[in-house]
Amino acid sequence: MPKPVLRGLIIVAFFALTAFILVPAYVPRPAFIPGFAPPPDMWPRTVSLAGIVLGMLALLLALFRPQADESPLETDGSSRARMAGRFAGLMLAFVLFLVAIPLLGFLVSTMLLTLSIVLMTGERGHRIWIALLAFGAPILLQLFFHSALGTQFPKGVLTKPFGF
Amino acid sequence: MLNEILSALVAVATLQNLLIMIAGIWGGVIVGAIPGMTGTMAVTLALPFTFYMDPVPSILLLVALYKGSTYGGSVSAILIKTPGTASAACTALDGYPLAQQGKAGKALNMALYSSVTGDFISNLSLIFFAAPLAVLALRIGPPEFFMLMLFALTTVAGVSGSSLLMGLVSAALGLLLATVGEDMYGSFRFAFTPDMQAGLSIAPVLIGLFALPELIKLVVMRATKQEEAATLGAQHVTRAEFMGSLKTILKGSVIGSVLGAIPGIGPSSAAFFSYGEAQRSSKKGANFGKGELEGIAASESANNGACGATMIPLLALGVPGDVITGVMLGAFMIQGLTPGPLLFQTNIHEVYMLLIGMLVSSVLLFFAGKITMRMFAKVSHIPQTLLTPLVLLLCVFGIYSIASSPFDVAVLLVMGVVGFIMFLLNIPAAPFLIAFILGPMLEENLRRALAISRGEPAVLLSSPITWVFAALIAFVLFITVRREVQKFKTERRVEQ
Amino acid sequence: MKKILGTIAMAVIAATGPAAAQDYPDQAVTLVVPYGPGGASDLAGRALAETAQPFLGQPVTVMNKPGAGGMNGARSVSEADPDGYTLLLARVGMALSPAVTPDNAVAWDAYSFLGALEATPMILAVRADAPYDSVEDLVAAIAESEGRMTYAASGATAIDGFTTQALLADNDLDPLTAATLVPYKGGGALATALLGGHVDFVAMAAGSLMPHIESGDLKALMVFAPKRMDTLPDVATAAELGYEKAGQIAGWSALYGPKDLPEEVTAKWQEVLAEVATDEKWLELAANRGSISTIGDVDMSDYAQSQYELFHGLAKDFGYLPN
Repeated sequence: MPKPVLRGLIIVAFFALTAFILVPAYVPRPAFIPGFAPPPDMWPRTVSLAGIVLGMLALLLALFRPQADESPLETDGSSRARMAGRFAGLMLAFVLFLVAIPLLGFLVSTMLLTLSIVLMTGERGHRIWIALLAFGAPILLQLFFHSALGTQFPKGVLTKPFGF
Repeated sequence: MLNEILSALVAVATLQNLLIMIAGIWGGVIVGAIPGMTGTMAVTLALPFTFYMDPVPSILLLVALYKGSTYGGSVSAILIKTPGTASAACTALDGYPLAQQGKAGKALNMALYSSVTGDFISNLSLIFFAAPLAVLALRIGPPEFFMLMLFALTTVAGVSGSSLLMGLVSAALGLLLATVGEDMYGSFRFAFTPDMQAGLSIAPVLIGLFALPELIKLVVMRATKQEEAATLGAQHVTRAEFMGSLKTILKGSVIGSVLGAIPGIGPSSAAFFSYGEAQRSSKKGANFGKGELEGIAASESANNGACGATMIPLLALGVPGDVITGVMLGAFMIQGLTPGPLLFQTNIHEVYMLLIGMLVSSVLLFFAGKITMRMFAKVSHIPQTLLTPLVLLLCVFGIYSIASSPFDVAVLLVMGVVGFIMFLLNIPAAPFLIAFILGPMLEENLRRALAISRGEPAVLLSSPITWVFAALIAFVLFITVRREVQKFKTERRVEQ
Repeated sequence: MKKILGTIAMAVIAATGPAAAQDYPDQAVTLVVPYGPGGASDLAGRALAETAQPFLGQPVTVMNKPGAGGMNGARSVSEADPDGYTLLLARVGMALSPAVTPDNAVAWDAYSFLGALEATPMILAVRADAPYDSVEDLVAAIAESEGRMTYAASGATAIDGFTTQALLADNDLDPLTAATLVPYKGGGALATALLGGHVDFVAMAAGSLMPHIESGDLKALMVFAPKRMDTLPDVATAAELGYEKAGQIAGWSALYGPKDLPEEVTAKWQEVLAEVATDEKWLELAANRGSISTIGDVDMSDYAQSQYELFHGLAKDFGYLPN
């Protein structure tokens, strides 16, 4: 499927989902509102209906006036599958990070996140800098925010006995 | 009056005051320039110190931090596409492309000159037009506010890049996302989790949408193209370039000063407004968004222009226009000074001291900007593979610290993924953000206007101010449609 | 695996729990303010943070957690560890929200009550050029307008909406439809809406209105407070004018913590609050923001309960909840 067609379909699907499923289910009426005042679902409904129209328009244009493909993405020449794998890896890192915060604490989680992301960018040189960035910077930032703003960073259930 | 001004000048011209202002401005610029740290953070951080200071220096410190951080936001917007504040979002649109072309120095200097000019003009308008602007601000009721915001939303047409249609889609997404959370009548919309009852904050959405896709692109596509960063010294803004943008800077300053005076509008909306206006009227309009100095000038003159002007409703009416002036109101009250109509009668000496101090701090902003620029320009020597993770780290800590909320960090990461998908689908991000910020103001004022008029839509065209904006909106729609039709025709000709 | 983790976690909590409670406080205490910076509640929180610090021996850091009518911050504190290092600056909303929207709010008694802090009077005001000089004039005009008159409030079920609705109910008018509510966010925006003539009246916290009353731009018709305000000696309270429901409504702040705070923490704060009550800076800051210190004057858990019951009754009266 050419990209513009896919794009049009995604847009229509998203706004249709919002207009016909999410708005009725997740926009409750308030305890009281005067009859003549616009209710809470007026605005999201209007916007998502407009979104459906825009998506349809995009779909029609893509089907009947296919344009020259936009400039290709700049890559390092890897295959699509490989890039999809990298994307999946990054998503996994994000999810694990959010899961890790209550278990390992904020400090250790950010260290692991930073380290894995630096490695994922393909950086293998600058070993000392990588170590400083992944382990030194979070400690400095935590000390700074704690002393300046009094932020209490979450401690991990597993790391609490060690004080962080 | 002259005597009062002179005695205020003497009272304000102490070494202590000067040092406080230097510290405030410079501290503000640095905080604003660090990704993930915001002006609000700087001001709330400084608030407890002001309890032990005299009234005038303590307000001067907070104002200096506010101005400094508003300018500082442009530094990270230009160098690493991470606007420190929402008001620098339009600066990133032109500043980051310029930095990629190796012209970061030019962009930073233009941002500084425009900010200082905007700031100075704004302070002058505070001194001479505070009373009439405050009266004007009171006239802006819900219908006027709605029309004004609708006009500001037409900026979307200018930041949509190659496809107006995709720009509109992006704006619709932004409007929709802005409705998450408690609405004005107290019903929780799209609150899938208790955290979402409070809605999505601007900071994680802004940074997630602008900065994080760069990181994801780096990881997924690894297209690192390293330009040798040219030294800043060789990159002054030439006289011709400055003169070419002067009209835009002056216009942006006036837009900022007038819009800033209306409580609730704030620097971001003023910057969007000015950017859209500059793009429509500039000869180089087509180059906006691809690295145009004039775009930076428009955005930065307006956001700093609004900064000083937000003091107008604060001082003259006692009404804070945004979070930062809200904190300042608190500082005034703690000092036993009550902003409002009486302040100019009972505390005119302090008011003059404040105004003179603000003018001085405009000048200080110039030097603080120059020095900080040199410090931060060095970031372009850090390899992308280390810099982007560092930015993420700073943002994660900064965003968490705003409200001690892991949810905000999750929003940051999710918006990054959304931004990346939008990039893959060629949907521009800027209209999303503009709509996200303007959306609540549009919706709430529309609903307020209709509640007051008992459901009668004619209220939206009930006063001269609304007629003016309706005419402007019609004009912009007309030229946008005409441009699209012309584009359509030329494409067809090319095909044939 | 889950079981092992759970056991380890329990052991850890058991090991660190009592140790942490001894010598309270040994680190900074976070005071959560459930509204945005710069507002009346933020000022109260910061004033408490500043004045309590020397008596507590540790800094108190203020953290703003606005959203969902104060319930966002309230929820985070009620769910926090009861170690005494996370406390809440409670407002009247902590009793009002659960009384009106029981499904979406934190229960009124989901906290430990450390003590009352202050009473914040509210004022019924109109523009100076309005043709009403008394509450009766205004009420008569409202009755005649058949719902066309408008008032600004933070929301239908917020305290500044309840003030007006109670007044309407006291005058045998329909509290929901006799006048039209126009929602605005924040005290400054409410005051501006009245100043600009976009709404006809407000009944809201005194702090944002006083400067305009003093300058003569606005007129105060009535005060919602237990007694008259020092700065407005000629303006009668709702109770004096014989309004039964409106007479019971007033704003207040208090200090709450998560439920089941250790004995040591509550004892320490009793001590600290007793010192703060007579602290000059505290009293001066309270006067500056137009409120009256009530530390030690009321038993907070009784008062919170009576407030909850009052609002629960009113919510049924007004038709927000089924009877």
